[in-house]
Amino acid sequence: MLDNNNDSKSNFRKTAKTVFYITAVLFVALICKLFVLQVIESQKYATLSDKNRIRVYPIVQRRGRIISADGKVLARNRQRYRLSIESCKEEEFRKDLSLIASQISIPNDEIQKFLDIRKKTPRYTPIIVKDELSWDEYSKIAMIFYKLSHISLENSFTREYLNPIEFGHIIGYTSRSKDYLRFLSGETGIEAFLDEQLVGIPGNMKIEINSVGKKMRVIDSVAPVNGEDVTITINAEIQKYVYDELSKEKAGACVVLDITDGSVVALCSVPGFDTNPMSSKISKKQWTDLQNDPLKPLMNRAINGVYPPGSVFKIVTVLAALDKKIISPKDTIFCSGGVVVDGHTFHCWKRHGHGKVNAYDALRFSCDCYIFEVARRLGINTIVEYAQKLGFGEKTGIEIPNESSGLLPSKRWKLLRYGSSWKPYETIITAIGQGALLTTLIQSATMMGKIYSNNYAFRPSLVKKTRENIEKLLKNPINSENIGVIKEALYQVCNAGGTASASCHTEYGISGKTGSSQVRRLKEGEAGMSQNAFPWHLRDHAFFVGCAPYKEPKYVVAVMVEHGGSGSAKAAPIARRIFDKLILGDKTKENESNVDNEIKSRKK
Amino acid sequence: MKKIRTKHNRIFLDEFKILFILLFLLLAIGLVGQISANNGELFGTSVQNHILRIFSGILILYAVYSCNLRIFYSYAYVFYAVTLLALVIVEVLGVIRLGAQRWINFGLFTMQPSEPMKISLILALARYYSLLTPLEITELKKHYIPICLTLIPTLFVLKQPDLGSAALLFGTGFGVIFLAGFPKKIFATAIGAGIAALPFGWFFLHDYQKNRILTFLDPDRDPCGIGYHVLQSKIAIGSGGLWGKGFLCSTQSKLDFLPEKNTDFIFTTISEEFGFVGGCVIILLFIGLVGYFFWVSMKEKSTFSRLLCGGLAILLFLHTFVNIAMVMGILPVVGIPLPFLSYGGSSMLTFMVSCGLIMSALANKKI
Repeated sequence: MLDNNNDSKSNFRKTAKTVFYITAVLFVALICKLFVLQVIESQKYATLSDKNRIRVYPIVQRRGRIISADGKVLARNRQRYRLSIESCKEEEFRKDLSLIASQISIPNDEIQKFLDIRKKTPRYTPIIVKDELSWDEYSKIAMIFYKLSHISLENSFTREYLNPIEFGHIIGYTSRSKDYLRFLSGETGIEAFLDEQLVGIPGNMKIEINSVGKKMRVIDSVAPVNGEDVTITINAEIQKYVYDELSKEKAGACVVLDITDGSVVALCSVPGFDTNPMSSKISKKQWTDLQNDPLKPLMNRAINGVYPPGSVFKIVTVLAALDKKIISPKDTIFCSGGVVVDGHTFHCWKRHGHGKVNAYDALRFSCDCYIFEVARRLGINTIVEYAQKLGFGEKTGIEIPNESSGLLPSKRWKLLRYGSSWKPYETIITAIGQGALLTTLIQSATMMGKIYSNNYAFRPSLVKKTRENIEKLLKNPINSENIGVIKEALYQVCNAGGTASASCHTEYGISGKTGSSQVRRLKEGEAGMSQNAFPWHLRDHAFFVGCAPYKEPKYVVAVMVEHGGSGSAKAAPIARRIFDKLILGDKTKENESNVDNEIKSRKK
Repeated sequence: MKKIRTKHNRIFLDEFKILFILLFLLLAIGLVGQISANNGELFGTSVQNHILRIFSGILILYAVYSCNLRIFYSYAYVFYAVTLLALVIVEVLGVIRLGAQRWINFGLFTMQPSEPMKISLILALARYYSLLTPLEITELKKHYIPICLTLIPTLFVLKQPDLGSAALLFGTGFGVIFLAGFPKKIFATAIGAGIAALPFGWFFLHDYQKNRILTFLDPDRDPCGIGYHVLQSKIAIGSGGLWGKGFLCSTQSKLDFLPEKNTDFIFTTISEEFGFVGGCVIILLFIGLVGYFFWVSMKEKSTFSRLLCGGLAILLFLHTFVNIAMVMGILPVVGIPLPFLSYGGSSMLTFMVSCGLIMSALANKKI
């Protein structure tokens, strides 16, 4: 054992030294690896470590309310709670579940289902028991909350619309945003247009969790910023009144503007639809039913529906003719009941003619022949120029998405669209608001607003304007003495035996223009037939645009009754009742009967 | 008599000063790591047991040191035979734990026979070579018996199955054979052949061992399963940064993202809290301890004690290296504890005995 062989000792020394150096090198390699992990790649692993331990839970913010000009809440939020139980030991889970079931009804088979889900769910992972707890259910759970060890109640909001059918087309609706925060975001209407103001900022809570997901402590929390409330210019009372009036017809639309500041007092489209289900759970059937409804309730007829404006457009033609000195107000044109252009005969609506007609009479009686003649002299370009000045062919900029801009036909448009040249007869049918011309009701109302506020820059708006904005609106005045002629003529329409005199003769004085726009070319022998003889979908659209009171113009009302037949018979009486409501207020009832009597007596 | 005693005391303090400092630091760091792994709680946790094991370990260390090295020389083959028998018993009666038969139940305590086997193997090999003349050592056939002595327990441990301990026995055994003077050319050739034959060894592995190796080669293969442990360990170490997150401020280990945080992954726990600096200190202390073992082995006059100390140095090195490399994702996770730091009786016992043997060897030389 104790051999002291120096040879073997030095051999051993050599080998042992080599082995030690190898071990030292390997240890240094470990230090290098440690350096890479802890110094070079430290940041990456620090991030991974935080990802491991920190869960960010969003705190849902409250969306701003939408309030009418008269202080009625139109859209608000209902607080909802989501009830969930963390996956835990079976007996604890069973205990919590049965306690919950004793307070809110959970069917037995559902309880079994949750127990099955628990088996498949990792510990501390929440299982949703009920998604939308009512307030009543919430308070019942809150009462026994101290007995429950594994449940959590999460906050959420559902959008709630009051009077959704009347206001739906303006307010629009919301949907759950697609990202993980799942807050409400606007889909259409004011909800979409003012989404940035309404939406707010969600808060969050950073919670430290352990490896199995058990919440250990709150690290940090950021409170949510609730959305701003928005007040819109709609007067809830007027809106409801207008909707009730309009809904007596199958389909139609109405716009009421306050021309002093451009605010929209009411904007209706009939039929309306319930926006409440749209914001939460709408069934597929409900949705397809809405989409396939022949009356198209989803369409906002006041801003998305495009129609030939009919005689309402004569205002544009007459103003252009007077401004361009084609004719002076008092000059007359003889109406024989029709003209021949390009070999086609174009009839005045009054088959036996109006006789001698001046500018006033042309609007008062809505004489087609007069318009045909001045339009022939004006040419399409000038008509289009004036139509543009008065707001046709472009969006009015109202705060509802997807507004239509309509269509102003022109020589260039015809060439691009059909590759054929413009025909003279097209000018004259455009001048009476027919043919390819398409406008929206809000454009017609805006035209009246521009005329009666003497301001080409007039624009309708759903959001309360500050004084500065109102002043900006007044920057482009109409410098034309002919505006007076138009206003006088429009007054006569309603008060001096004009087309709307039967329904719109009032003390405060309505000025306006009726319109009936054909939806198709009349067949041989159909001319002069009563509209009631045609099936509904072939009848003319009925229009009336008006402004009142005469002395101090304040309100513009534009009414469109889809396939209503005649503007003077269908649209004008509705407008009259709305004006009465606007100007006389509660005395409306009384006046209504007066109007009816008046009409009856005139008919006699 | 009195003179001898004073002389003895002086040696005890002077010669063993370095060993004691290294040992004290490692045990202290290990204790801090154990406290961290138990979230700072001392009582009623495994920290109590760990402290108990440190003290009983020190007693055993002293007991081994007090014995004359001649006893270990005389009984080397007996120790070997007894531990080998224990391994066989484990195979037959072993208590199944953690899916592997590694413990033998002695009634009062359970024991992993693969741990004492490591020391018994070194003793047996050292004993065998001490009787060979330098000439005999150059003969290849004289090495057949030591190779068999190494391979038999290795195969039993592999069968348990405990890939880590088997690899350590294998490595330690051949390390001693190499130190004893095995022809270097043949050794190098054998290593080359062994590496070439590695793929064939694949067929003898258990499914979980195959999985571990596959996951080691490609950690993304199973990030939620086995790869998860390694990934979480790397995240813990990496997120510690240069200075660490601070004592008891670890997140990975405290929030249980880290598996086996007080046993196999104790290095990770400490590195997360004390950073690169802490990790380096541990590695440097181990370099020091391994170096000390080698230094003692080189000072020894007898072949037996030289090979014994050298073998223990290799054992300590392999244990430390495999453990640290494994928690950093360099080697597959094979369940090897970190000497002196990891929680667990068997490992603590093995290395306290090792230190005792080293001290005994050093003391016997002087006397």
